[in-house]
Amino acid sequence: MISFSFRSFSIAIRIPKHIVSTVHQIITKKVLSGIILILVLISCCAFYYFLIDGTALAYNDARSHLNIGRRVVEGLSTGLAQLGSVWLPLPHLLMVPTIWVDIFWRTGFSGAIQSMLAFLFSGVILYKFLELLRVCMMGRFVALAIFILNLNILYMQSVAMTELLLIATMTAGVYYLVKWYQSDWVTDLIKSAFFIMLSTLIRYDGWFLLIVAGGLVFFRAFFEKGKKHMEGSMILFSTMAGVGIVLWFLWNLLIFGDPLYFAFGPFSAKAQQDQLEAAGVLATKHDLWFSLMVYLHAVMYNSNAFLTLLGAFGVLVFIFDRSIRFSVRIASLGLLAPFAFNVLALYFGHSVLFVQGLSGDTWFNVRYGLMLAPAIAIFIGYITHRFSRVRLLILGLCFFVILFSFLSFDAVTIDDALIGSSGKNVSEVSGWLKEHVPGKKGYVLISAASHDAIIFSSGLPMSRFIHEGTGSYWKNATIAPDRWARWIVMRTNDVNDLTFKAMSQTTGFAAYEKVQSFPFADIYELKPEYLRQLQYFHHP
Amino acid sequence: MNIRGSISALFLVIFSLFCFGVLFLSVRGHYGNPMAEELNTRYWKEDGPLELSPERGRFALVYSLVEDQSFVFSLPIARFTTPDLGYANGKYVSLFAPGVSFLVIPGYLIGKFFGSSQVGTFLPISLFAVLNGVLIIKIANILSAHRSAAIMAGIIFLFATPAYAYGVTLYQHHISTFLILSSFYLLFRYRSLWVLPIVWILIACSIPIDYPNLFFMMPLGIYALLRSFSLRTQKEQYVFQIKFGGLFSLISIALPMIFFFWFNAVSYGNPFQLSGTLPTVKAIDEEGNPTFPQDAGTQKNEAFFTDPTKQKKSAVGFFKTRNMIQGLYIHFASPDRGIIYYAPIVFLGVFSFPFLYRKHSSFAQVMIGIIGMNILLYSMWGDPWGGWAFGSRYLIPSYALLSVGIAVVLSVYARNFAILSLVFVLFCYSVGVNTLGAITSNQNPPKVEVLSLEALTGTEQKYTYERNWNFLQAGGIKSFVYTTWLRSSIDPVSYYWALVSAIIGVGSMVLITVFFLGKKRGAV
Repeated sequence: MISFSFRSFSIAIRIPKHIVSTVHQIITKKVLSGIILILVLISCCAFYYFLIDGTALAYNDARSHLNIGRRVVEGLSTGLAQLGSVWLPLPHLLMVPTIWVDIFWRTGFSGAIQSMLAFLFSGVILYKFLELLRVCMMGRFVALAIFILNLNILYMQSVAMTELLLIATMTAGVYYLVKWYQSDWVTDLIKSAFFIMLSTLIRYDGWFLLIVAGGLVFFRAFFEKGKKHMEGSMILFSTMAGVGIVLWFLWNLLIFGDPLYFAFGPFSAKAQQDQLEAAGVLATKHDLWFSLMVYLHAVMYNSNAFLTLLGAFGVLVFIFDRSIRFSVRIASLGLLAPFAFNVLALYFGHSVLFVQGLSGDTWFNVRYGLMLAPAIAIFIGYITHRFSRVRLLILGLCFFVILFSFLSFDAVTIDDALIGSSGKNVSEVSGWLKEHVPGKKGYVLISAASHDAIIFSSGLPMSRFIHEGTGSYWKNATIAPDRWARWIVMRTNDVNDLTFKAMSQTTGFAAYEKVQSFPFADIYELKPEYLRQLQYFHHP
Repeated sequence: MNIRGSISALFLVIFSLFCFGVLFLSVRGHYGNPMAEELNTRYWKEDGPLELSPERGRFALVYSLVEDQSFVFSLPIARFTTPDLGYANGKYVSLFAPGVSFLVIPGYLIGKFFGSSQVGTFLPISLFAVLNGVLIIKIANILSAHRSAAIMAGIIFLFATPAYAYGVTLYQHHISTFLILSSFYLLFRYRSLWVLPIVWILIACSIPIDYPNLFFMMPLGIYALLRSFSLRTQKEQYVFQIKFGGLFSLISIALPMIFFFWFNAVSYGNPFQLSGTLPTVKAIDEEGNPTFPQDAGTQKNEAFFTDPTKQKKSAVGFFKTRNMIQGLYIHFASPDRGIIYYAPIVFLGVFSFPFLYRKHSSFAQVMIGIIGMNILLYSMWGDPWGGWAFGSRYLIPSYALLSVGIAVVLSVYARNFAILSLVFVLFCYSVGVNTLGAITSNQNPPKVEVLSLEALTGTEQKYTYERNWNFLQAGGIKSFVYTTWLRSSIDPVSYYWALVSAIIGVGSMVLITVFFLGKKRGAV
């Protein structure tokens, strides 16, 4: 009912309480559907934007991920063995159903679709997490908005990278663990173990979460239920959550003959870090303070300095909030596992991260800081609820910085890909291949470990390349290149390039002449007089 | 007026006289009515009161409006204003928001009458500074802070923060702070709708003073706007009321905005053109054309300077969230600008937040909102140092609001000797540092410029308040009173100590009053 008062020059709208209550109930019921709809819209718009913008494939790693998936279904030697040992297999396995479609491979959609779904799932889990902590609706929306309006999140959900998938599985793992702490239902423990198992098959951050979560399961079961209960819970949890790791060891043993091949093999992170250390650029190794600084900067560049500080304040308030059960508070801190993991990884030299201005003049792997984005959003959502009297203030300040992040288009992950070391502009090499190879017979000999980005950007079918994963083709071509490869792409004089390493030991290489030299690689072509002896099987 | 009211008024008058007296003793200036050609000398520029481009740019507009009756700068005035000179339609214009220059025109005219137009132009800023001190006291009173604690807060803001150094020269900060504090005071002192038109006018006036004020005023604007709406429960229904009086009061922003658009149209040929987005001229050649400045380095091509129309600027282009980590460090912890080095006492104001949250949550929300906007915006700013400056000048509105917080803290801990001792120590240190800045110079380079500066000059360059101390010891002092009347009777260092002693002496007496009378009124 609406009434107008001349005396106070105002109108008064009277709404019966039961109507408000009914509307509230409907909103509460339908809120998740609404959130999903908004997330789908945002996700699709972001993907489209970055696709048109041309940055969707800027990451060198994104192109490599797509190629790994593609090699499973297309190439001179296909099959699951193409999953390799450098990266954990789940993201590539998830690509298999779509990667065979050329346009999905070329546009990166095969990799992005899983990131987009993970974005959607992360948003829902984030909302549910705060619901679990009995945070008010406003707090949940604030957290959700902070997460989905993070430009770095929006970019990473639009590309074929593993971050969003990892964020989704890790957050879900911690969510069900906290839920298990509250409900004591074994199904929650199983769900937690399942998501943590998935995360262990995406990135090694998941392995650390498994240890942290294992400790939390032990803590709760032992101190609240006793030794017997602890044994049962631990066996159930670790069997399920650890199965992925066991399978990975087995895989490495079966394919490469060494269960620890992924850790110590020639393409492992360790091998990369050893080279960086030799070059004197692994400054974080054995320097805890610097490791902490580097990772904190990465977090702040990914999630905004103010929001990070606000989130940190939220963590402090949360720890001392007695209205939440102590054990639940402890379990929720599992969200911070990526922080401990990354600092330790930098300290022990297992990881490398460059922040411009702090460790040199370039970016590299700065996206690792994104792993704390859900935790920051959740703890800001929590303080919005906790300090309800100033929630408008929190909301205002958060959106003020978010607005400016959009106005200044501040996405460090894009800079890392475009101008940092995580991107590689191989357009010159790939452009040469694109121009000269089609229509001519012959394979291109190239190391996928060093030049996957070139393979991807060339636009040629995978079956035109002989690389380390092509079994006998590679073996034969590295012994007698002039019989198998018409072109050789390699970094001359770089022994880390396996093609160069092989060519420096074979006499067949004398049959080639250098036709072009580019910053990332040189191109050699077989001299015309040797073309007659070239082996080539036409692949449509 | 009852006795208590009379005593309060008396204290306010004494406080105002004392503060204005100290500011007058510190205000920078030279005697005389300089003409355009004279202004382009070291006497008035580097060695004088118009040492940096912000005060030069504003003074130039005053001069141009009064002496030349023009919004367009004559060539000598344009040269005087470089390197922060605007360029529009082939003419040299002001690069600064016009509000400050218009407000100080009466001061220029009065000063000119007395033979000192520049001092007359600067003194209105000191007047605004005193008004800010009074407003801090009045706002603290709304929170039931003890009277002495409120006075102490006013003194702290005026003399123990970089606000002191910017209360004796021609900058926008004190006027911006005045508009914020007066809107704040009106909104929390009076609950009725009649204050809204005044608040809207103050908010609209703040934009021509300094464009970022739009953001700092936003919490006040939202709070004012919400006053037009109310939601209450009545038996089995909710009543949502919209008061049209409040909404219609928004019309009052029209007058200041018309002035603003008129100025833009006359000066730049476009009512919506912000001066900050104009092309910049860094230097002018013999023929009077824009040219390549000597210190430009190699980072920009020559055409950028010689043809300013090629420059592309946007109103928000200088604000980048990427700058925030460095910006926060510069404002809080850096030795060249950080609060921790220049005014550590203001940190005490933060301890008022829990009290305000519990008892005055709306107040806390608006106050922290303004402080937050102020800090965040200038942390994103491409030049968080504020060019060559003394302390973190951009945070002056935050110092004012945090001083209100200090009044609350002092009232709550009035009988806590340890806390009062801490306040005293921090007060002495902060007054010592900021008096140094006030009577010497604001020409402190950012740390990042020091290496190139040393290479250029061949001498060691200091970038903290140590630079001011060295300047003072070398006989460098810019106080108008000192340079005009006292140079022969007292040396600069003694003059400095006399001022510091006077401020600390008065501050100590007020602090003692807080201790002895503190709990009588009951705090906050």
